Amino acid sequence: MKKIEINPITRLEGHGKIAIFLDDSGNVDDAFFQTVEFRGYEKFLQGMPIEEVPRTVSTICGVCRGVHFTAAMKAVDQVFGVTPPPAGRKLRELFFNAHYVEDHTVVLYALGFPDFVVGPEASPAERNVVGLINAVGADVGREVLRKRGLAVKIFELLGGKPSHAVSAIPGGWSKKLSEEERKQVEAWSQELVELGELTLKIFDDVVLKNDKYMELVTGDTYKVEVGYMGSVDPQGLGTFYHGTQKVIDSDGKLIGTFEGKEYLDFIAERVKPWTYLKFPYQKKIGPWKGIVEGPGTNIFAVGPLARMNVIEGMSTPIAQKHFEKFHATFGAKPVHHILAYHWARAIEMLSAAEKCLELSRDPEITSNEIWTKPTSCTGEGVGIIEASRGTLIHHYLTDEKGIVTKANLIVSTTHNNGPINLAVKKAARHFIKNGDVSPSILNYVEMSFRPYDLCLACATHTVTGGQSPLEIEIFDKDGKLYKRLKNF
Amino acid sequence: MEKDEWVVLGIGNPYLQDDRAGVVVTERLEALRLPCRIEQLLTVGFEVLDKIRGASRAIIVDACKLGNPPGSILQVSVEDIFSSHHLVNSHAVTLGTTLKTGMVCFPDEMPKELHIWLIEVKNISEFTQIMSPEVEQAVGEVVKGIQRLLTEQAS
Repeated sequence: MKKIEINPITRLEGHGKIAIFLDDSGNVDDAFFQTVEFRGYEKFLQGMPIEEVPRTVSTICGVCRGVHFTAAMKAVDQVFGVTPPPAGRKLRELFFNAHYVEDHTVVLYALGFPDFVVGPEASPAERNVVGLINAVGADVGREVLRKRGLAVKIFELLGGKPSHAVSAIPGGWSKKLSEEERKQVEAWSQELVELGELTLKIFDDVVLKNDKYMELVTGDTYKVEVGYMGSVDPQGLGTFYHGTQKVIDSDGKLIGTFEGKEYLDFIAERVKPWTYLKFPYQKKIGPWKGIVEGPGTNIFAVGPLARMNVIEGMSTPIAQKHFEKFHATFGAKPVHHILAYHWARAIEMLSAAEKCLELSRDPEITSNEIWTKPTSCTGEGVGIIEASRGTLIHHYLTDEKGIVTKANLIVSTTHNNGPINLAVKKAARHFIKNGDVSPSILNYVEMSFRPYDLCLACATHTVTGGQSPLEIEIFDKDGKLYKRLKNF
Repeated sequence: MEKDEWVVLGIGNPYLQDDRAGVVVTERLEALRLPCRIEQLLTVGFEVLDKIRGASRAIIVDACKLGNPPGSILQVSVEDIFSSHHLVNSHAVTLGTTLKTGMVCFPDEMPKELHIWLIEVKNISEFTQIMSPEVEQAVGEVVKGIQRLLTEQAS
């Protein structure tokens, strides 16, 4: 048996690699996505006052800082048995939706669009964000980056501190919004809506009007049939900050809905010896059935595409039109085509921007009533949010003084571990035939996991050479290396 | 932002042992009350541009893991750390790519003088605010180096 390894040593999200095993004919026998690094924030949080946890967990990842902060502060509310007043909640939602716009912008323009705008087979020297800007023009690039910066400004204005927010308090929010600030946020939000519309126009022009790309997007190579999970509001519409978790199977049939600690009734985790990342599965469907797709599988996915599949519609008007076009394009629901994650992400970016604008125009947003004072400690809290890359669960137990005794964090990439493995295997099987492994397969295999926007224990961020090395090693059946492909 | 302003940006996770080197450098520079604006980020990404755009001179201090002896100090250029290759499964952008993007999109707003100092780490997997001795020593040397640079420019 031959072995191929794709070893992405990225700067940000920890270490992961892909190992592809070929049979004696040179075709793919199996493929695995492995996480080879363990970080252990859950242990680090033990012994910490629970009210300090949101600020601390925001450092888990420099990119998804706002999502861990938000999930933790919702859990902290439960630990102290308090509900934020309406204005406090709205400020949190405004903060969170601004973070969404910023995060989705980076993922789309830096990671998703280069494959399409520059081309999946373009030289790696061009297939990056700089190549993208060269292709669309510096003026467009400048405007996108400038508008993304406005989302960061809202995030920082409300968060109370650059980059990593500090405004969360049990039962509310510590930063009030003055009328002058509200007007500023409203103006910025208007520009964010324009950014969302521009992004969807670029996607429309570059992808939807390109037959070759649409073949990739709607074809079987990048199609993974699994179940889905995401948050819905009482009307069944999409919501990011708070909702009820809706779970469907791979046929779209409703498995159930849950809130808070009930996640334990729906999600179980399987451990595999070859990776630190666990494999969550839908336990309501039955016991672990393996990393398999199709009818009956209990593997499920989260994130933008999953949300498009579980919701009845978007909660904002312009994004709703794009939601309808999205589903009209694919026809059947749920949509299993994983390259559609990028399209879903663009629709969500617009929706988050519309939400920012809506909240900035809400007269209640400048209210002084933004905090409910806690008076007791329940000792347990579960915070569930729709992080930009998927459902994020923070579960804490504390002693009677609110000191953390146990923490459990289930992040989006963990939920997506099964689908990622399935996607990698499928792409590898499609592109590797009879032992012919060309350098271009690197990108086609990468394109199978990039939609999920992986985040692997991403606290570490040291420079690894200013590039992101990718290596494929091919071994013969005796384990001897006979070919190596690398991009560094 | 003042026209001839220096900005010193430290990058690192303050909870992770040697990863925090860049942040510690800026903390110590701040205590020295030098004529510069201090900024900190926990990671790279387009936020780097938000921090340095508009300043005429910038110094970026970050940890690195390039296979050098722990505590090694490297002064590099944007070209040295810019990957001409695509990103791999990352959900962020490298420092080199970020700076290169800034130069393409905001040529008139990027600092005309940009120094990038990297400190080779020894251990980045422990949650502690005590750095390895080699990195601790390197941090001190980088602080002195930047202090010297700022003082020379001011005189």
